Amino acid sequence: MQQEPQKHTAADAVLPEPPAKPDEPGKAPDASSEPEQMIRPEDEAVVVERLRELGYIE
Amino acid sequence: MQAKPNIILISADSLRANHLGCYGYSLPTSPNIDKFACDGNLFEHTFAPAIPTQPSHTTIFTGQHAITHGVVAHGGKAKLGRGTPFLPEILSGEGYTTCAVDTLFRERIWFGRGWEYIIDPSLHHVFYASVTQEELNDRAIRWMETVPKKPFFLFIHFWDVHYPYTPPDKMRGLFYKGGNPTDPENHALDEWWDHPVGAMARDTWLRTSNGLITDPNYVTALYDREIRYLDEGIAALSHALEKMGIAENTMIVLLADHGESMTDHRIFYDHYGLHDCVVHVPMIVRWPGGNLKAGTRFAPFRQLSDVAPTLLEAAGSELPDELDGKSFLPQLTGQEEPSGYDKVVGLESTWQSKYYLRTDRYKFILSRYPDLLGNPDRELFDLQADPGEDHNIAPEQPQLAAEMEMELEAFIAQKMEAAGRDEDPVRKEGPVAVEIWEQHRG
Repeated sequence: MQQEPQKHTAADAVLPEPPAKPDEPGKAPDASSEPEQMIRPEDEAVVVERLRELGYIE
Repeated sequence: MQAKPNIILISADSLRANHLGCYGYSLPTSPNIDKFACDGNLFEHTFAPAIPTQPSHTTIFTGQHAITHGVVAHGGKAKLGRGTPFLPEILSGEGYTTCAVDTLFRERIWFGRGWEYIIDPSLHHVFYASVTQEELNDRAIRWMETVPKKPFFLFIHFWDVHYPYTPPDKMRGLFYKGGNPTDPENHALDEWWDHPVGAMARDTWLRTSNGLITDPNYVTALYDREIRYLDEGIAALSHALEKMGIAENTMIVLLADHGESMTDHRIFYDHYGLHDCVVHVPMIVRWPGGNLKAGTRFAPFRQLSDVAPTLLEAAGSELPDELDGKSFLPQLTGQEEPSGYDKVVGLESTWQSKYYLRTDRYKFILSRYPDLLGNPDRELFDLQADPGEDHNIAPEQPQLAAEMEMELEAFIAQKMEAAGRDEDPVRKEGPVAVEIWEQHRG
């Protein structure tokens, strides 16, 4: 199969810039009402142990 | 100005291209990366020839397709051959001071090759991927300020966007339109608990003060908040380069090793499956002193295997014959017309053992082993009519599926022969993690 780079037209080279994004991401009406993630100290160890079982970590 | 540029390679693990504003996302996850893209050059269609992290980064550093280097699985048996060209080793030989602010060497030993300095602030965490952009930036900036004999090659591997999604508290409230994140009647994530990574999430980072997170929209918002947090880090790094007065002759490549499935294709918040949400990655280059035309966007297909040859050419190094990738530097500088591949091939062999062949219009996915989600061995998607790859048209277009399968098999055979392999590495490795998935499902 041909996998050498293929030529494209020069028109491909310059496309419009993406639209500017507002810097303020816009908070939800009441962020404080969101639940708080409960990351326990032992959770990282659980993650490590599980990923070690999967062979992700030696 | 020094002849050779400084080079900074930034890998944002698991950063899905279409969750960035500059790749068309509707939410403001990435104002600073968007500006970075406007100041630099953005490649709209870059694909990972191998997923997930270990195979993909091996491709990034070798400039080789995974069939060539043989590392096709995350946590697999294959090891990178000692004689395989490796980007930091080559640049070190070219006089570069090399530094990785990274953890990958803890996963596989070849990721430690060629670095004069390895800095690993993740040692302060139980789980290395919990290291934050602020910790990595702090070390990287201090290293640039004090250590290198110019020119330098710096690799920074950000883990913020990788699961577990635990954005800092200052991001609370972003990107979630409301509802009840912990509604016990919402069972949209229940299927995820059948997967070991889903069960791990349920037992750890999905727990909240109000109970278990059950709304997938909320998990997606957590992912997007991690992107926004990473975005702040990219801005901080850019600012530091300006302050040090080295931004002009520093070439920065920002990319991801792979994307992330949200709930696409019944793959929950993970990076397997060869759909575009996972194999289409961002790639942006900025080099103010490199005579690049700022704001240019390149539409042709590129692959992550093109990164190493491009950086080597920028460093004035000769390209080893063994590289599969092609430098796109002459296109960045306008010496060549924009070009790329008319089709790309990629693979995975971790949770599934599959190949994909993608053209501008179609994607064909071929399984070497049955997958646990029950998908057929051969899938064909019309990306024009069905960009989400939801409708398999292989039964309706058997002729096209057969042609693409033949083309894919021919590519695999050609790469195997060139690499001196007598066995398909994906068939040989098999889906390395699937046994644990099966056990987990009972």
